[in-house]
Amino acid sequence: MQKSVKVKKTKSGLMQRRESRLGILLILPTLILIGAVIIYPICYNVVLSFQKVALNPHRPSKFIGLKNYVNLFGDPEFYRSLGVTAAYVLVTVLGSTILGLLVALLMNRPFKGRKVARSLLLLSYVAPVVATVYVWKYMFNGLYGVVNYITVDVLHIFEQAPMWQDHPVYSVMLVVFYDIWRVFPYAFLMILAALQAVDESLYEAAQMDGASAWNRFWAITFPELIPSISAIISLRTIWNFYKFDDIYLFTKQVPVLGVYLYETAFAVHDNGGAAAITIVLFVIVFAFVILFGRKAVRK
Amino acid sequence: MRKKKLAMKILHYALVILVLVITLFPFYIMLTTAFKTSEAAVAYPPQIIPKDVTLQHFKDVLNPKIFPFGRYFLNSFKIALTTAGIAIVVGSMAAYSLSRLVFPGRIIFKESTLVVYMFSGILLVVPLFKIVSSIGLNDSMWAVVIADLVSTLPAAIYMLSGYFETIPESLEEAAMIDGLSRFQVIYKIVLPLSVPAISSAFIYVFMIAWNDFLFSFTFLSSQEKLTLSVGLKQLFGSMDYVWGRMMAAALLTAIPVVITFSAVEKFISGGLTAGGEKG
Repeated sequence: MQKSVKVKKTKSGLMQRRESRLGILLILPTLILIGAVIIYPICYNVVLSFQKVALNPHRPSKFIGLKNYVNLFGDPEFYRSLGVTAAYVLVTVLGSTILGLLVALLMNRPFKGRKVARSLLLLSYVAPVVATVYVWKYMFNGLYGVVNYITVDVLHIFEQAPMWQDHPVYSVMLVVFYDIWRVFPYAFLMILAALQAVDESLYEAAQMDGASAWNRFWAITFPELIPSISAIISLRTIWNFYKFDDIYLFTKQVPVLGVYLYETAFAVHDNGGAAAITIVLFVIVFAFVILFGRKAVRK
Repeated sequence: MRKKKLAMKILHYALVILVLVITLFPFYIMLTTAFKTSEAAVAYPPQIIPKDVTLQHFKDVLNPKIFPFGRYFLNSFKIALTTAGIAIVVGSMAAYSLSRLVFPGRIIFKESTLVVYMFSGILLVVPLFKIVSSIGLNDSMWAVVIADLVSTLPAAIYMLSGYFETIPESLEEAAMIDGLSRFQVIYKIVLPLSVPAISSAFIYVFMIAWNDFLFSFTFLSSQEKLTLSVGLKQLFGSMDYVWGRMMAAALLTAIPVVITFSAVEKFISGGLTAGGEKG
């Protein structure tokens, strides 16, 4: 009896070792990939940020210490980008989350065709950015765009047709509208899922106590939604902080950090300078991740 | 009371319709402009309902002399398919390891894949570009595949490990008592049970890679290697751009993802709300 227990123990010990070896073996490809494609580039980027990088890849780059950083922090363009980015992030994150919440509340009531409506609402999120950006450019065209037709000639919201893609203020509005339109379905989906998990009996009890719909929302629904809403806000803040694609495709008038970085690297061809911007962006994003992101994702 | 209820119901429907009309309006414009004549597309006031319908723009877009749609489509397809294939094979291995096997450092790995998920796109483009050109992968579809993997692998791992965790562990234990090895358990039990989750993760990764603009725009340079997103941008950048042609091309670029997405929307929505998405 004793013997057999002992045998079993060593066997399970052996199995455990085997299991843990398999565990490491299975995760190894992922580790190698992440190491090669994320960790190594980030380290390499730190090195680049201290160099004056030669355009010709066969020429050696020169170590120039902190000069790229000194240039960056002395560049008024950088501070302008930072300001524009902060404003862009603030408005798009709030806008898309609030819109997502409202639409989720609307779609939480059962009605005929709800499934179809739900799928249709996700379209803007699924379609390729390049495809939808150009429709928006067409719709917001200053000469024959349908948006100016509706807002100026039909609804008389504006006296003069705004130049959406050339005016510094209107073009920020344009990219903000676009982003809210494109990403609100994400907030909508997450909040709808949270709404459907709220315990129905809570509402019944509240209704018996005579609480109005408005009070029920703030007393019962909203507290239940707080975890998902804070997760959405943290993730969207991080993602929109280094937004590039749609803004770059829309206009030259909105110099967010992503565009500033790209232009420095591939238009000015200052790879060292671009590497320094990358590091600064990286530090900011990393701080966000540590403060909010990890908690958000763990949910 | 009943009247009030009916009024509420009508109001609710009206709001739903209003939201749908506003969010779908750009797609309506895309569709109608693709069928409008070139003159009608720039008419003022704009023709919201097109007067004449033409198929000319689709013929142009599919005419290789005007726009190499077929080649771009194939390139996008190859990149998206390769990325999805690699992400699923590598990702399901990692997902199984993280959800079932006990080994030192497991918790740290689990968290760091998620943290890594938040760094991508523009943050990696400068160093990746330098590395890619120094190892001679410049202008190769592999550069795009590798970069796309960064933005999709963590999400795939997240979706799949979430699913693996729902498979009862007792099922696997029973099979092992019957003499199957861990490897056989994965191969004969876990993977067949996970077909829906694996295929939705596959389509999800495919979609992200198909929609990618930044990496293909940065890494690819020769005409015959470009993807649809970059091709679309070029079509717009050409001197004599025609809105109808643009919209026809945009429509044909969007249709494959929209169709595949609606086929698996149920699964993907679950994965999205669990894992979060990039965009």
